[in-house]
Amino acid sequence: MNVNSNGYVLGFAVVVCVAMSAALAVTANLLKPAQDAAAEFDRQKNVMAAAGLVTEGDPRPRPELEALYRARVVEQVVDVTTGEVDAQKTPAEVAAMRKPEDRERYRVVAVAKDAQGNDEVFVLPISGKGLWSTLYGYLALEKDADTVRGITFFKHGETPGLGGEVDNPEWKAKWKGKTVLDGGDLVSVAVKKGRVDPAIAREQAHMVDGLSGATITCNGVTKFVKKDLLAFKPYLQKFWTK
Amino acid sequence: MTATTAAPVVTARPKAPLFGKAEVKAIKDPLWDNNPIALQVLGICSALAVTTRVDKAIVMGLGVTLVTALSNVMISCIRNLIPNKIRIIVQLVVVSSVVIVFDQFLRAYMYDLSKQLSVFVGLIITNCIVMGRLEAYAMSNPPWRSFLDGIGNGLGYMWILIVVGTIREILGSGTLLGFHVVPQALYDAGYVNNGLMVLAPGAFLLLGVIVWVQRSISGYSEKH
Repeated sequence: MNVNSNGYVLGFAVVVCVAMSAALAVTANLLKPAQDAAAEFDRQKNVMAAAGLVTEGDPRPRPELEALYRARVVEQVVDVTTGEVDAQKTPAEVAAMRKPEDRERYRVVAVAKDAQGNDEVFVLPISGKGLWSTLYGYLALEKDADTVRGITFFKHGETPGLGGEVDNPEWKAKWKGKTVLDGGDLVSVAVKKGRVDPAIAREQAHMVDGLSGATITCNGVTKFVKKDLLAFKPYLQKFWTK
Repeated sequence: MTATTAAPVVTARPKAPLFGKAEVKAIKDPLWDNNPIALQVLGICSALAVTTRVDKAIVMGLGVTLVTALSNVMISCIRNLIPNKIRIIVQLVVVSSVVIVFDQFLRAYMYDLSKQLSVFVGLIITNCIVMGRLEAYAMSNPPWRSFLDGIGNGLGYMWILIVVGTIREILGSGTLLGFHVVPQALYDAGYVNNGLMVLAPGAFLLLGVIVWVQRSISGYSEKH
C-alpha cells in the first residue's frame, strides 16, 4: 500500500485522532470521581486556611483534616436578600442551582466554631474576574464581622508569578487584621497599587499592598471582594451591633 | 529432490537480548555522555520553572520520563505506518494525549502538586526532549529500545532537575522536601534565605554552573 497517498494520509489521521480521543475520554471519565473528591477536599482546606484552623500546606493526613472540617465548620445557606439563614436548603442544592438569580440570592457561608461550639469565624465565598480567569476564594471575618481573619483563592487561572501571586502566603498574610467597616460604613478592603502608606491610618486599616505586575488581577480582587461583601451586608449587619 | 532436503526449517531470528549493547547504550548515554540538558541544552524552560522545590522537580521529572517513554513506545510501534508528510502532527497527537492523561492522574491523586505545577505539566508537550527523541530515535528503532531510550532521557533530565531543585530549595527557602534543614540558630545569628534562588535567574546561574561542571568532567566541547 502506498503510505504517502492522500487517501491513506487522511485515513491514518482520522484513525489516530479517533483512537486518541477515545482513550482520553475514557481516562477522564474514570478519574472524574477521584478528581471531584480531591477538588472538594482542597476547597475544605481553603475554608479552614482562611479561618485560621489550619496553616497553608498542613502536613496532617487527609482523613484527619476532613474530620476537623466536619467537627469545626458548619455550612449554612444564606438568603442574601434578607440576610437570614435558610435552613430548608442544603449547600448541595445551592451548588446544583443553575439560574443566575438563584445563585446570586442563595450563598453558602461556612461558619467555623470554636471548641465550645460558638461562632468564631465567618467564611464568605468570593469570586470574580481577574485578568484571564474567574478567581474563586474565601474571605474569613472574625465574629465581629468586621476584622479580616484571612483570605484564600482555591481556583484561578492567572499568570503564575504575576497574577498567580494571589496565592503567595506572604501577600495573603497582609490581609489579616484589616477591617471592612469604617465608622459603620461598609468600605471593604482594597488592594492598592503600590505600597500602603503607614502614615495614613485609614489606608492601613482598609488597604493591602498591591502585587507588582498584576494590576488588573488586583483591581479585580478589590472589585469582587467589595461586591460580595455588599451582597452579604444584610447577613453581616446582624453581627455588627454586638 | 527428496522431502528431507526440501523446505529448510525456518529458524526463528535469534532473539534480541533484553539488555544487549544497544539497549544499555540507549539508557546510559542520556544519563551522562549525551545528557539532554547538559549536552543538548534541551528542556531548559521547564528546568528553570519547576525547580524551586525538590518535590516539584521530582514530579516533573517523573512526568517527562513517563511521557517520553510511553510516546516513544507508541510511535515506535506504528513507525512504519506513519506517513512521512504528517509524522510531526501524529507525534504531537500522541505526546499531547499522554501528557493529558498524566495531568488527569495528577489532578485526581496529587491535587496540591498539580495546582503548583499548573501550566508546566501541560507544557511537557512542548518540551524539546520529547519531540527530539521521537524524531531522532523512536522513528527508526524498535519499541523496547525506544522505551529504554525514553526512560534514559527522562532520567537524564530528572537528575539535573533534582540537583538544581535541591540547591535552590536549601538556599532559597531553607527547606528540603518541605522540611526545615537550615537550623533556627543560624537564622538567629543573622542568616537570611537567598531570594535570588527562588527566582528564575537563580536557576539560570545554577544550571550554567552545572552544565559547565558536567562538560568539564565528561570532556565535551562544542565544535567550531
